[in-house]
Amino acid sequence: MRLQRTLAFSRRTLLQFRHDRRTFAFVLVMPLLMILIFGYTFGGDVQGIALEMVNQDMGIPQGFLPQLPDGLFLANDITENLNEETLSIHINSNREDARQRVHDGNAWVAIVYPENFTQTFLTAILQPGTIPPPKIELYLDGTNPTIVAAVMKEITGAIQNTLSELSASLNITETNMPITVDQVYVYGGGETRFIDYFAPGVVSFAIMMVTTMITIILFVNERRNGTLQRLLVSPASEAEIVVGYALAFAVIGIIQSIVVLVAAILLFDITIVGNILLALLVILLLAFGHQGLGILLSAGAKNELQAIQFIPLILFPSILLAGLFWPIESIPSYLQPLSYLIPLRYGIDAERAIMLRGWGIGEIWIDLFVLVLFAVLTLSASVLLLKRKN
Amino acid sequence: MKVTCPSCGLVGKVTFEHVYDASTKVVKIRNLTKTFGRFTAVEALNLTIFKGEIYGLLGPNGSGKSTIIKMLCGLLRPSKGSAEIFGQQLPCKPMMQKVGYMPQDTAIYLENTVHENLQFFGGVYGLPKDILEKKEQEMLRFVNLQDWRDSLVSTLSGGMRHRLSLACALIHEPSLVFLDEPTVGVDPELRALFWGYFESLAEKGVTVIITTHYMDEADHCSRVGLLRKGRLIAEGRPTDLKQQTQTQSLEQAFLSLTRGNET
Ligand SMILES: Nc1ncnc2c1ncn2[C@@H]1O[C@H](COP(=O)(O)OP(=O)(O)OP(=O)(O)O)[C@@H](O)[C@H]1O
Ligand SMILES: [Mg+2]
Repeated sequence: MRLQRTLAFSRRTLLQFRHDRRTFAFVLVMPLLMILIFGYTFGGDVQGIALEMVNQDMGIPQGFLPQLPDGLFLANDITENLNEETLSIHINSNREDARQRVHDGNAWVAIVYPENFTQTFLTAILQPGTIPPPKIELYLDGTNPTIVAAVMKEITGAIQNTLSELSASLNITETNMPITVDQVYVYGGGETRFIDYFAPGVVSFAIMMVTTMITIILFVNERRNGTLQRLLVSPASEAEIVVGYALAFAVIGIIQSIVVLVAAILLFDITIVGNILLALLVILLLAFGHQGLGILLSAGAKNELQAIQFIPLILFPSILLAGLFWPIESIPSYLQPLSYLIPLRYGIDAERAIMLRGWGIGEIWIDLFVLVLFAVLTLSASVLLLKRKN
Repeated sequence: MKVTCPSCGLVGKVTFEHVYDASTKVVKIRNLTKTFGRFTAVEALNLTIFKGEIYGLLGPNGSGKSTIIKMLCGLLRPSKGSAEIFGQQLPCKPMMQKVGYMPQDTAIYLENTVHENLQFFGGVYGLPKDILEKKEQEMLRFVNLQDWRDSLVSTLSGGMRHRLSLACALIHEPSLVFLDEPTVGVDPELRALFWGYFESLAEKGVTVIITTHYMDEADHCSRVGLLRKGRLIAEGRPTDLKQQTQTQSLEQAFLSLTRGNET
């Protein structure tokens, strides 16, 4: 392998990109657009969920209990703790009507506090074991799990906040708290947004799409224009051709990732806690592997039109099965093993671990190993493919 | 010596009697056959081409000229028989340093400039920087593209692309060149210039194997091989072929030979 010759291939490819500004812009803008579009439309927190509120709670009047000189209307307190952006609350005095509105699709949920809600609650706290804790009735339209999850999170959160406000005056401890919801964050804390989770995935996804598609098109053109034949007649070895291209894609991939990450940090304020160099290494491995895949696929396409047909073939499994948008755990279990066959899965996994958790090689070595294996396999197969003659 | 060819009007450094080195065989083809499926594109071909020759492969469309050249470059694997260049069985990578190949379709990079294409092919053949610089200037002058050095190839005319393609095949000073229809779409003045250049190459001992449909050009070859349906039906110096068929021009000789072989 001669360096000068190898670099001739890289240089030419990069120069081609320099002339083709639009394609290069696409390479940079596409991932940012994805972050923008999906990050905000897809994963943005749910807002304005219509809720019917039926509050029949009578509470306890002022001076009823010495610990609570101001009296207590527990249902009101909980309601005040509900986030008014997430929930769009409509007060309703009629329980049946509220139910009907959920039934008719005018609201996602109806919440009903019974008359003796505060009373029952206090009795359960002050004389433990005498009566069961109070009940809130929820009527839910369960057709959208995301909304159900958001509603449940909001309501349990509000209950918990209300109880902890009361804990000072009432003797509420962890053991006798009527409802307990444990939320302990090991990573990310409570404010990790979907966009933080999504950005490392998009960086990996973008490098995969760009490298695969551009390689396929470049090699289809090489074949069709006859330049590849010319190269095969030259003293350049097939390995030099493949490595030369790989270096060019490495440069493009690094530029792309840096621009995208910096832009994502500046525009969307995403957090990166891990080692950037390690993140770039994963990018390089993804680029090498998918370049090899692109060369192999290019043999199956006679022209650009046929090359485009590979897009859905690569796109859909990656989007659906590699854990880009939703966790692999949410894929039906009989489909989950398929995700192991998709190299992007390991790239996304590694990038998330590095950027969100700050993990190092020690923790992500399996991902790295699979990616190296993938790159070695596809690149050597493409060298063999180029060597094949009619 | 610059002369004008009396029969075709081509201007160039034309020497009608080629002096080539008949003791050094550069290309040796024995019983070469290529089949695509059930179709035989080249059949039992025997050829020997010597150092310093300009050998013309002639024949109608589809007669197998390009297929022969591709086998000689190691791009296609012969179905039967053998092909040797410089005494080496093909394919032979190290030998390719000495070979130049201009494919029939203009195989250059459309999204790069003229300069970048020349630099690239020079780099692929490992030319040192200073020599590459010199050769690039020489080639630009030869194919008359100096003014287009920094233009994208996609903005050039068809003939200009063809000229660049030729320049890319010659930039590394090969000693054996395969030119598959190098003068298609090239204007007459430049064609004459090209042939002058080919002859100067041949004088330096470079072996040129060329395909063409222009009979006036074939007249400048040291020898021509006439192909029909993948078979070599006649071979020899242009003057001998004309004598043999008792015709005035190679064109008539060509027609008489291809017809005479009709079965
Ligand atoms: N890859 C291939 N697969 C099938 N058939 C082929 C292939 N390449 C060439 N052929 C056939 O072999 C025959 C010879 O083709 P070739 O390109 O050598 O002709 P040619 O003499 O160069 O013609 P032209 O003057 O048009 O360039 C043609 O009939 C062509 O259809
Ligand atoms: Mg041809």
